[in-house]
Amino acid sequence: MPAPTPDHQTLQEAADWFARLSSEPHDLAQQHAWQQWLAQSDSHRQAWRYVERVSQRFAPLQGDIDTASQTLQALHHTPSSRRQVLRTLSVISGGLLLGGLAWRHDALTEQLLAWQAGYRTGTGDILERTLADGSRIWLNSATALDLDLGPSQRSLRLYAGEVLIATGPDPRPFVVHTAQGNLTPLGTRFSVRERAARTQLNVYEGAVQVRCSATHHTRVAKAGERLSFDQQSVSASEPALAGREAWSKGVLLAEDMSLSQFIEELAAYRRGHLGVDPEVAHLRVMGTFPLRDTDQALAMLAGVLPIRVEQTFPGWTTVKPR
Amino acid sequence: MPQSPDPSNVGWLYQEHHGWVRAWLHKKLGNSSDAAELAHDVFVRLLSKPKAFNSEGHARAYLSAISRHVCVDFWRRQRVERAWLEVLASRPEHCMPSEEHRAMVLEALQQVQAMLERLPPNVAEAFMLAQLQGMSYQAIAAHLGVSPRTVTHYMSKAMFQCLLLEAELDEALS
Repeated sequence: MPAPTPDHQTLQEAADWFARLSSEPHDLAQQHAWQQWLAQSDSHRQAWRYVERVSQRFAPLQGDIDTASQTLQALHHTPSSRRQVLRTLSVISGGLLLGGLAWRHDALTEQLLAWQAGYRTGTGDILERTLADGSRIWLNSATALDLDLGPSQRSLRLYAGEVLIATGPDPRPFVVHTAQGNLTPLGTRFSVRERAARTQLNVYEGAVQVRCSATHHTRVAKAGERLSFDQQSVSASEPALAGREAWSKGVLLAEDMSLSQFIEELAAYRRGHLGVDPEVAHLRVMGTFPLRDTDQALAMLAGVLPIRVEQTFPGWTTVKPR
Repeated sequence: MPQSPDPSNVGWLYQEHHGWVRAWLHKKLGNSSDAAELAHDVFVRLLSKPKAFNSEGHARAYLSAISRHVCVDFWRRQRVERAWLEVLASRPEHCMPSEEHRAMVLEALQQVQAMLERLPPNVAEAFMLAQLQGMSYQAIAAHLGVSPRTVTHYMSKAMFQCLLLEAELDEALS
């Protein structure tokens, strides 16, 4: 007999779990609580099957994400989507109908521009670009940035993710902006990553000046150094992680890394959840692994460590003891 | 006089109602071959979930509702296909995908669009960026200029609407 349709409250709970689990995919306590919720009743499990089904509806589009995004975006902004116009109009006071429409148009144009902004990579993609000034940039997985090569300045705004930059010789200064501050390189190769409200910097050649946005505190990092900063202050510098640069070649280079750290790195290239059982989290990993095929990387890992890779359901993978 | 919920009954309903359903669809779509195909869909849907009607009016009201649904789906499908072809045509490496691939992608696009069009624009965009592009909440928050908490709220809201749709689909098929 098919499971009965879950009631609205159960569907709302399932939706909340989905939102929280995907917001903090590494929170083990939360996963535990979610599993308890699942175990509570058939209707909870049925609601979760709907969550999986919704996610699976996107699956056939993963082959060409750009085309799918652009199509949906175009549909999203087509006025023939009457329901949407009506919904928007319903929040605008009735007397200002014409003004309201004009406002809506501007808001949409702005949104459209933001959506199409600059350079973006999906999860698992690594993109290399040579810029008009001869600089080269590599975008790591799930990265979004804007670029402006103006007459007096070259500026790059990093919204999310990580970028590796090799600046080309050009009289215009090159400035990288993040939510935490800005970085001014001096003929150099360096990577910038935004993560957990901090900007992380690795300098491989030359030097980079860092400036915090709130305190205007500045510091220069030289080749071979790594540091991080938030809006207030800059951390002490440590030796740069040479292996960190390997992603630009599509490789995860593990030099005696813990399995938990390895999985965290790999998870950034993979859709859905990728976790590790605490029992094997301490194992050490050595070697080079392909980032463009994370299934293969996991299979290679299972070949050298006493682990197995378990797929509970599509999009939910855990590394467990063998 | 109540009719029994017997699939064979659909044959009788077809005899009685197919004519006006088809005429109504023709008027809506302005095209007789599309109307014939969609009229067929209306009765296929009825066949997948046979229903007992207690009056002629009840049957008519129900069939009108299904016909409207079929029309909405048809228009959406057309809009989706047109938008998709335009995007493909704008590509420098303009190449036509295989028929199979085309059918699969269009079906998925139309399902996703059916979910997204129920959502307010910001919520739909956040949901699409997460589900399709695999962006983190933090990246989406930066992109939309809202807090990560708001993104979590958007995601829950979007998923809830999608779950309602899934539940409706299940009910329609059970």
